[in-house]
Amino acid sequence: MNRQFEKTAEMVLFLPALLSVILTLAIFVFMLVFGLPLMKGGRFFELITGSWSPGHGMYGIQPMIMGTMAIASLSVFFAFPLSMGCASLISVLAPRGFSTFLRHTVRLMTGVPTVIYGFVGIFLLVPIIRELFQNGSGFCILSASLMLALLISPTMILVFMESFDRVPKSYLDAADALGGTPVQKLVYVIIPQARQGIWMGVILSMGRSLGDTLIALMLAGNAIATPGSVLDSVRTLTAHIALVIASDYESLEFKSVFACGLILYGFNALIIVMLRYVESKGTQ
Amino acid sequence: MTDNNLKIISANLDFYYNDFKALHNVDLKFTKQQVTALIGPSGCGKSTYLRCLNRMNDLIPGTRVDGEILMDGQDIYDPSVDVVLLRRRIGMVFQKPNPFPKTIFENIAYGMRVNGIKDKAFIESHVEKSLNQAALWEEVKDRLYESALGLSGGQQQRLCIARALAVEPEVLLMDEPCSALDPIATQKIEELIQGLKKEYTIIIVTHSMQQAARVSDVTAFFYMGKLIEVGDTDTIFTKPKLRQTEDYITGRFG
Repeated sequence: MNRQFEKTAEMVLFLPALLSVILTLAIFVFMLVFGLPLMKGGRFFELITGSWSPGHGMYGIQPMIMGTMAIASLSVFFAFPLSMGCASLISVLAPRGFSTFLRHTVRLMTGVPTVIYGFVGIFLLVPIIRELFQNGSGFCILSASLMLALLISPTMILVFMESFDRVPKSYLDAADALGGTPVQKLVYVIIPQARQGIWMGVILSMGRSLGDTLIALMLAGNAIATPGSVLDSVRTLTAHIALVIASDYESLEFKSVFACGLILYGFNALIIVMLRYVESKGTQ
Repeated sequence: MTDNNLKIISANLDFYYNDFKALHNVDLKFTKQQVTALIGPSGCGKSTYLRCLNRMNDLIPGTRVDGEILMDGQDIYDPSVDVVLLRRRIGMVFQKPNPFPKTIFENIAYGMRVNGIKDKAFIESHVEKSLNQAALWEEVKDRLYESALGLSGGQQQRLCIARALAVEPEVLLMDEPCSALDPIATQKIEELIQGLKKEYTIIIVTHSMQQAARVSDVTAFFYMGKLIEVGDTDTIFTKPKLRQTEDYITGRFG
């Protein structure tokens, strides 16, 4: 009777697990099949390195890949010092009351809908960037990545914070008893001990910014061109998918969204492999 | 005994964890170049008291101290006292050996680094000196750059002692330093304590009455947050004044 129950429970849990694996694979196959017309005859390479000019039959998504990479890496670059500082304040340096206040604020920030960030970006950030650099509309890589940095930093801060808090108390005691200042404790003991968590935070946030659609769609300007500077307007892979899907259903142009999807899928897989690698290094 | 020989004096010391009063009115004096053992059953407040002496309890939210602790005549709880500098003058060794997961060399050098010492030759000579003081040099001199976590428990604890000595403290606090060690490692630490008392004021919390009898000059018996009796170790263990002390020492309770 008990065994029977165990078996049933196992089956009930196994089915959703199986389903999620099948769905993940199905999405991949789906994109592959629909993207195939654009990739036939070894044109995949051309697709991901070529430029975009539907009028001339060119559907290369290289500008979108570049745009995505630029915005994602720049946003992680901006978010990293911010998050390190904030996590350090919360976990180690700030007085208790302020630390609690910050902790709650960060938690709250994770719950703010993305579109709000986009909104704030359009009305506050874009005009500032426009005025400051006197170059173009202000809808550019810089605006999008600054706002995206703000969007991903709560996640980064929480991951950093958790890894700081996981540093064994015995090490902290030793550091305190030796007369380490809080900053020295942070630099010599906590950060080296939390290295794995710091990597995880960075990689996770990278995944988050690669996948984010709305911020780039609202703030990056959506011009399909390979960027030459951070003040250029770009279109990301995700924004491209969103824009094309909203307008069109039949053309070859439409098929390019599946190529974009595949590339994003690839990025995502890469992120997961990296996370696994960092995880496995930590448990050795 | 003149007052010049006194290193630390605590007077009317009360200690609170929030509303719970963990220490009641503790008056205790510690003499230079002597080992004082704090004994008593679990939860009697002896470790709490020890942690008042280098203000480690400050790190626990909701704690409060009344009364005073004077070190060389200065109140260590005075607002003008820099806790960080205070802790550099008072080394501490913990119950479980807690070396950093770094090399043996780095473990000792850490204390000097946080004290802002950058001179490499100075650090190297002091690493050797501290390891010698902790009677560990001969065992580790060929593996200074290997992980400290590869050492045995007893060696790790001596490494922690060496790490505490490297910042040249005046007082050494030891919180049951042998409770995680086997008898042979314990014996080594006890011999070490005997050697170290020539230079340091040593205060050791111990669960083992034999250990207190072996290593200490003065013994203080704590019970339920109060200091019950303090005196020369010989006297405490042979002719205690109070019944409570005698009962504990003879194993009738605790």
